[in-house]
Amino acid sequence: MPNLPKVPLESWISEGVNWLTTHLSGLFNLMQRSGQSIMDGLTNGLTAIPMPLMIAGLTVIAILTTPKKYGFPLFTLVGLALIANQNLWSDLMSTVTLVIMASVISLVIGIPLGIITAKSPKTAAIVKPILDFMQTMPGFVYLIPAVAFFGIGVVPGVFASIIFALPPMVRMTDLGIRQVPVALVEAADSFGSTTWQKLIKLELPNARNTILAGANQTIMLALSMVVTASMIGAPGLGRGVLSAVQRADVGSGFVNGLGLVILAIIIDRFTQKLNTKPGQKLVTRPWRRWAILATALIMVGGGVVNAATSQKSSGQKVNLGYVSWDSEVASTNVLAESLRQHGYDVTMTPLDNAVLWQSLANGQVDASVCAWLPFTHKALYDRYKNDITLLGPNLHGAKTGFVVPDYMKVNSIADLTNEANKTITGIEPGAGEMITAQKTMDSYANLQGWNLLSASSGAMATALDKAYKTKQDIVVTGWSPHWMFSKYKLKYLQDPKGTMGKGESINTITRKNLKKDNPKFEKVMDKFNWTKEDMESVMLDIQNGATPKQAATKWLKSHQKLADSWYK
Amino acid sequence: MAKVEIKHLTKIFGKRPKAALKMVKQHKSKDEIVEKTGSTVGVYDINMSIDEGEIFVIMGLSGSGKSTLIRLLNRLIEPTQGQLFIDGEEITKFNKKQMLEIRRQKMSMVFQNFGLFPHRTLLENTEYGLEIQGVNKEERRKRAEHALDNAKLLSYKDQYPSQLSGGMQQRVGLARALTNDPDILLMDEAFSALDPLVRGEMQDELLELQANVQKTIIFITHDLNEALHIGDHIAIMKDGELQQIGTGEEILTHPANEYVKSFIGGVDRSKVLTAESIMIPALTTNIDVDGPTVALRKMADEEVSGLVAVNRKREMLGYLTSDEAVKARRNQTPLSQAVMQMPTVDLDTLVVDIMPIIYDAQTPVAVVDGNKHARGVIIRGSVLEALADTEGEETDA
Ligand SMILES: Nc1ncnc2c1ncn2[C@@H]1O[C@H](COP(=O)(O)OP(=O)(O)OP(=O)(O)O)[C@@H](O)[C@H]1O
Ligand SMILES: [Mg+2]
Repeated sequence: MPNLPKVPLESWISEGVNWLTTHLSGLFNLMQRSGQSIMDGLTNGLTAIPMPLMIAGLTVIAILTTPKKYGFPLFTLVGLALIANQNLWSDLMSTVTLVIMASVISLVIGIPLGIITAKSPKTAAIVKPILDFMQTMPGFVYLIPAVAFFGIGVVPGVFASIIFALPPMVRMTDLGIRQVPVALVEAADSFGSTTWQKLIKLELPNARNTILAGANQTIMLALSMVVTASMIGAPGLGRGVLSAVQRADVGSGFVNGLGLVILAIIIDRFTQKLNTKPGQKLVTRPWRRWAILATALIMVGGGVVNAATSQKSSGQKVNLGYVSWDSEVASTNVLAESLRQHGYDVTMTPLDNAVLWQSLANGQVDASVCAWLPFTHKALYDRYKNDITLLGPNLHGAKTGFVVPDYMKVNSIADLTNEANKTITGIEPGAGEMITAQKTMDSYANLQGWNLLSASSGAMATALDKAYKTKQDIVVTGWSPHWMFSKYKLKYLQDPKGTMGKGESINTITRKNLKKDNPKFEKVMDKFNWTKEDMESVMLDIQNGATPKQAATKWLKSHQKLADSWYK
Repeated sequence: MAKVEIKHLTKIFGKRPKAALKMVKQHKSKDEIVEKTGSTVGVYDINMSIDEGEIFVIMGLSGSGKSTLIRLLNRLIEPTQGQLFIDGEEITKFNKKQMLEIRRQKMSMVFQNFGLFPHRTLLENTEYGLEIQGVNKEERRKRAEHALDNAKLLSYKDQYPSQLSGGMQQRVGLARALTNDPDILLMDEAFSALDPLVRGEMQDELLELQANVQKTIIFITHDLNEALHIGDHIAIMKDGELQQIGTGEEILTHPANEYVKSFIGGVDRSKVLTAESIMIPALTTNIDVDGPTVALRKMADEEVSGLVAVNRKREMLGYLTSDEAVKARRNQTPLSQAVMQMPTVDLDTLVVDIMPIIYDAQTPVAVVDGNKHARGVIIRGSVLEALADTEGEETDA
């Protein structure tokens, strides 16, 4: 159809979202703020319960609800203990908060909506296609509008999760209500029940098990969204999985994933217990019910005591945003550890790159040391430059380009012919370097017919590792500082046309009003700088198995003077 | 005044009731109407009047509109046309709220598959009607327990319906309907799901209940025997239209049309017909006045071999055969000594109960009323004839 103009769907949608963002900002802010404080409260409440007490309590409840069976209580005990043992307890609590919040809101919206669709075919005809849409549209698509509406953090995460998790709640409620036998509805009518009485006394109790099955699905779907939600700053186990994927850290990815699986199984079993036949009580003996109540009270009591006795950190709160690239994990951890040593209360929020810039622009994040300029992040900088402050480079001599192992003969992009199956192994689609890589491929005639494969930074590193070990050809989109240059013998391909950018620097950017709000912290950010070698040494430590925090502390210890200079 | 009065009540299901109505008026068949208009005739132009305290049975084949008719009475189904009066009030004019009141106070329904709420105990089921009226817990418990007690199910009150047999469940269904103390009970094939033995028991219980509390009961059944057993009046429907209303006897003895005739073909008449309907006129001789010669003369005239002997008050004394009369004339003895014992039955004794009596008897059986007057006699032949009617019908069909 060469003559038909393209329908400008994309711009309509963008404009629609923009319109909503500006016109409903008051509402969104209110929701963001109240949502955030409710969820902070919930997470704090959950974390306040001492971990051993919570594990013991949940195990006891598992025992009380599954009389004469040992599998489930044992699983609860061992599973939770394992999560705690892996230092994932507070992540687990954050994830639980997200899941509870998303599920509760889905229930609160979904059940009434399901009732309405069951009773009104007209509403059903409108709602059903919307539900299909919500469920089949990939969850990532909601992330940017979610950030535009609610900023970063757990609130947009909950928003995106609800969109994904709500449909089964509506559908199953609708189904449950419509499945109530006509004869029973007729019986209720024949005694003169009002619509409301019929609903409360007949339909909902009868639909109960179907509704509970819907709730179970909803909870599971909310749980499946935690990884996606972590891309926009929702804390928890999802964040661990995401950053492990970005770093190709198989071990850590699995451990975090395992935490999610354990959580899913425990939630699933507990919610399935609510599913009972008529006349069958959830917990048969009254003493068991009292015991469960008592256990719950003890847990809450433990939380209250703990919260009352533990002191709150009194430092200044600052929020550093970063992208989970190896280089930025290193720099942000070093900076954060250093700030902590100087009494700041630092939150580190790993984000998707585009989301990071967006959240600096709307002031959700105070600062970041992740901006590769003038080339790699040019597009983002151009877009947000009026809404952020650029404080300048914190590291010079950064570089991006096509990287090949030393053993390959080729030295220049212009000399590439048919190496590596004419494939360049790239990183995340949409990353700055991918855009320049694409530009490069378009401007070198010899690269016609070549492929730019997009994957993730971690997958790129894994592919490189595999090729290197077997001495295969490989061309990757690389950047330095990066630990791969310490680990393997690699070289940049020359770039006679300069399309991959010349030398770059990594820059510090802050939100617009930081200087006014917190000049002392802004000054530290402005002064923060180190070298490529510094960064690579931290990166290599992490690559060799140290946690980012350990590596950062180690580096700080041996570079006391440099670190102190940031505060002068 | 009639308790329930129905005038020209019509229900057409579907989107084009007007077109369908036009076609029914032209006596088009139900199938044709569905095909042309997509609408189904539920019931058409029903007129009937139901008296206070009677059991009114509605009969008909599957799809004849029985359930539709009974649901029009409490407006679970809204009529397309026509009027409905209960206690003289036009229910079809009532608004939603008034209708709720009617359902709560005046009529309760009992369902074929019991319609008990599976998530409620028997007691909770039984108190449902009071609960939604906002009766306080203590009061409604008391009344529900009383109703369950009458149904002899009080000890099961905390069980759930699935734990009970069908018969027990339907007793609960009935108890639940009675807890509201309604004037009218609507029973849609209430006993059809029960096995024959339990069904018979339930029918008797219903009759007993009726004798005690005098509800107006509208009872739907497929089963003519059930209808004849419990019904004061029976209405027979076909394809949504009324064929005949009458007592069981009237319908059996004077079927209004061929359809009704074929419909009643399958019935076990011996359980329905009474002495009154099969008796033949009693030929009597007043032995206080008549001598043997007069009696014999009468027998000769009527071409019978015996007469029912009565006294001056026309009270039945026994049977006088021609043999005994001849003997009395020869021996010059009074006729009173010649009269034989004669078995008697009441007017409403069922044929099934007459059969063994007549089988053993040497004489015909006398049908007497409360004044000992002989209203008729039954001979073997008339019993056989009444029952033979059935067989005749069946071979016709
Ligand atoms: N809700 C409805 N919508 C459309 N048609 C209906 C509806 N209810 C009943 N009908 C039709 O009305 C006619 C009468 O049905 P009804 O249920 O009253 O018959 P019935 O005599 O009670 O039969 P059964 O002995 O099988 O219970 C049937 O043709 C049926 O298909
Ligand atoms: Mg029916």
